[in-house]
Amino acid sequence: MPDPRDDQLAGELRDLGQWLVTPAPPDLRTAVRERLSAGSPRRTSRRWLAAAAAVLLALVIAVVPQTRTAVAHAATALLRFAGIELESAPRSGSLPATPSPLPSTQFATLDEARRQARFSIGVPARLGPPESIQLADHDATGAPRVVSLLYRGGTVRLDEFDGELEPYFAKKIDTAGVVWADVHGHPAVWIPTPHPITYIDRHGVRHDEAARLAGATLIWQGAITYRLEGQLTADDALAIARSTG
Amino acid sequence: MARACAGDLDAYEDLVARYTAAAHRAAVLLGAGDDADDVVQEAFVKAYRKLRWCRADTAFRPWLLAIVANETRNLHRSRRRRDALVLRAASRADPSVSGPDDPAAAALAAERRAALVAAVGALDERDRDVLVCRFLLDLSEAETAVALGWPRGTVKSRTARALHRLRARLDADLTKGVGRA
Repeated sequence: MPDPRDDQLAGELRDLGQWLVTPAPPDLRTAVRERLSAGSPRRTSRRWLAAAAAVLLALVIAVVPQTRTAVAHAATALLRFAGIELESAPRSGSLPATPSPLPSTQFATLDEARRQARFSIGVPARLGPPESIQLADHDATGAPRVVSLLYRGGTVRLDEFDGELEPYFAKKIDTAGVVWADVHGHPAVWIPTPHPITYIDRHGVRHDEAARLAGATLIWQGAITYRLEGQLTADDALAIARSTG
Repeated sequence: MARACAGDLDAYEDLVARYTAAAHRAAVLLGAGDDADDVVQEAFVKAYRKLRWCRADTAFRPWLLAIVANETRNLHRSRRRRDALVLRAASRADPSVSGPDDPAAAALAAERRAALVAAVGALDERDRDVLVCRFLLDLSEAETAVALGWPRGTVKSRTARALHRLRARLDADLTKGVGRA
């Protein structure tokens, strides 16, 4: 039950607002524009800062609609999110006709994957056990850098990696329709349109020759980074994401 | 807004022009003091970088104020102080603001405002932030929730608690005042 004296106090505070000194606001248009045109972030957190680039797998390319023109949009923007670099830029050139898969890809069982990976592998309860699993880009000790869970004949894939460390994938996207979402309190980003994606290997080398067109994708971050791709609606993708543990 | 979201700098400049005053006032009242200009500039640069990931129908103002509030908190941390609210000098008071003609009453009102400012300044940071947003900036509960990054229920409960604490402080000061007299 609110105390009427508190209501009165609230009224006094509202009135007080008019009695406080607030200097005249500056005209920031020129300063802001100059900084945006220069494109140099003054301060960014480590996660957003990581450098660029990389490749991804070709498994799904056949089933992804080849609407490449949908991806071409102006305005250069860059966002680094959970080890994935998102770039909004006009596309130049074409994608390779036969992109090569991720470096040193091999199939594995879930148990093998769990033994070899340096991070804990999440399986979405909503999709159940994966039909197959791929491990890619192994280090000297044999630990894979990316673990991919494949479903529905490979048309739905869930890539998992420790995106806190460095960028793994670069995407060029059409920002129209891109939406922030939330998975268990962590930010997620939904990219509804097909977009080229490139893998950045553990040496930071960008594998443009392996660039391919990815379908609708949800990226989110839990203990590790998840990248779910396939012919899914945003709601389906979010439900799958929220069931991953 | 849609054009600004798509990266159009001209359209964004319009947003900067439209929201600078509100953002600047928020920065000052949240305690940025002389650094308010820098805080707001930084907030606009960051907002632009994030803008393309927000939907065009998202309300821009509370979202921008959230960035301003965050930048202001970072500023407090880096320089380890928060600038106090400053009352206008009485001579500059706007007579249109329900000012009583009676000079004694006017003096009392001015004294009361000074007491309010001092009491708000003595609250802890979160209590102060919620009172500044809800009442001094006159944001709604929903807008305050976005600006401070809190759940709406938290805004409601903390507002009530902060008002209660503020009143307790004012009452205590009043008692002390009476005791002195």
